Amino acid sequence: MLEFCHADVNCSLVPILYDISVVFQTGEITTVIGPNGCGKTTLLQCLNGSSKVTSGSIRLDDMDYLAMPLKERARRLSFLPQVRTIIPALPVRTLVEHGRFPHLGFTRRKSQKDIAIVEKAMNFAHVSPYAAQYADTLSGGIRQRAFFAMSLAQDCDYIVLDEPTTYLDLNGQREFMEMIIQLKKQGKTIILVLHDLGQALRISDTLVIMQDRKIAATATPKECLQQHIIEDVFDIRIKEFSDDEGSYYFFY
Amino acid sequence: MRKKITFLVILLILCIFAGILLGSVPLSPISVLRCLVGFDKESTTYILVNTVRLPRVAGACLAGMGLAASGVILQSIMNNSLASPNTIGVNSGAGFAVMLTLMLGGSYTSAVPASAFMGALITTLVIFGLAYMADSSRTTIILAGITVSSFLNAGINTIKLLDTDITVNLTTFMIGSLSGITLDRLKFPAVAIIVALLLSFSLTKPLNVLGLGDDIARSLGLNVTSIRLILLVLSSVLSGCVVSYAGLLSFVGLIVPHICRRLFGNDARYLLPCSVLLGACFVLLCDIVGRVLFAPFELPAGVLLSFIGGPFFLYLLFIKKGGRRVNA
Repeated sequence: MLEFCHADVNCSLVPILYDISVVFQTGEITTVIGPNGCGKTTLLQCLNGSSKVTSGSIRLDDMDYLAMPLKERARRLSFLPQVRTIIPALPVRTLVEHGRFPHLGFTRRKSQKDIAIVEKAMNFAHVSPYAAQYADTLSGGIRQRAFFAMSLAQDCDYIVLDEPTTYLDLNGQREFMEMIIQLKKQGKTIILVLHDLGQALRISDTLVIMQDRKIAATATPKECLQQHIIEDVFDIRIKEFSDDEGSYYFFY
Repeated sequence: MRKKITFLVILLILCIFAGILLGSVPLSPISVLRCLVGFDKESTTYILVNTVRLPRVAGACLAGMGLAASGVILQSIMNNSLASPNTIGVNSGAGFAVMLTLMLGGSYTSAVPASAFMGALITTLVIFGLAYMADSSRTTIILAGITVSSFLNAGINTIKLLDTDITVNLTTFMIGSLSGITLDRLKFPAVAIIVALLLSFSLTKPLNVLGLGDDIARSLGLNVTSIRLILLVLSSVLSGCVVSYAGLLSFVGLIVPHICRRLFGNDARYLLPCSVLLGACFVLLCDIVGRVLFAPFELPAGVLLSFIGGPFFLYLLFIKKGGRRVNA
């Protein structure tokens, strides 16, 4: 369980969030949604220290997350940030191998186990065919999957992804969602930021809805729809269509 | 990759031998070998090898190694492929400190290298402070560096003009030269450079992770701030110590890492050692050519670095296709 307790958060010394308390349950897919600028990214950036928690705490499986050494954090929770200003001119395999960084000892030598995990992560994210290609020569979608594979190579129980589907086409998004569900079946706890509300409603066990830099609600997708929370926060209407394969949502 | 590194090592060894044998007075390999293993201690060859050629070759090697490594490190920690000890003004900072120390009567053996390091470090910190405070773009940082560097160069010139007692040839100092290196002057910087090189070799993994950008580096559990500070100090040691005895050798710190990026890729585990080896070969070669070309007159190594390095780099940039791409 990942829990923010009354956290105040600064980003680049500017206070952004006040008194945030929210719980991400173990073994679930939890999606953070909210309008642009509501503080979703700032909230998650606390997890890698890109934004600073000035008061309150974060607890991971009842341990003080912020007091953990950085590498220890990166062994328990992998966080793939959203913005990529730098596209490294490295082969995909090398990029994915960086995911093993927190696990390497002082000598920083790769073991057979590290190599196997990297292989597995590349296969899982469907980037094995591109292993030898340079990340900066790949299309946005494949590149995104390569970074995803890097994150998987960290081999953490908690996987946090900030807008993972932004660069993907429709088919890529569908594949990605299938990967996420598979990861959940493997027992991983997954925390996402998504802008596609339809995806969020379909895939999530719990939705965390943020508005005006506060947590507006934490509820299951069903509750959200019944109580019209999404409609209120995003100022939209939702129509739900169902068939035997599941539910589809139309926003207007 | 192993083959390429072996090739570079062999190339360096050849350059070292050439550096000892060639010069205004060419020496025969056999007499040099006899001197190196300890025979003929009274011969002129022995004196020439031990007091002139060896310090000079060692100085050239370490200068190339230090500047190239410093360039690789700066490029990684600033995520800026235009960064180098020259372009961001670190060399000028070191040079200014050297001049200041000489004006105040500091000794060549210890005070000059130490102050050169401090000058380099302070300049790096200033540039870094500017970059972080203003969240400046990559171009702005380079512009700031060029400005700082021309400001400090003006300072160097002023000191030299005001204090005519300083026994430094301004032209050769500004362009970088390896003439007149003595074992005494080299001792302290050499140790510092070697230690800094070894330390930076142990940090290639973090250097790579840092190259992924701060956000991802943090997610991978790297303490971005402290590792950057350590690398910054290392790069200042490397470039500062070189400047203390070789002057403002330009170009090596910028183009050697770039040549290596094109030839060996961006992975710091290979990039750093390859740059170090190639940097040493490059400076050695330029120094040899400078000594031989118009003997007994001498062209400073810095001149040849630009003469040889410039066109070669342009060739790599524009003509050789299919090289490895470089981080923008």
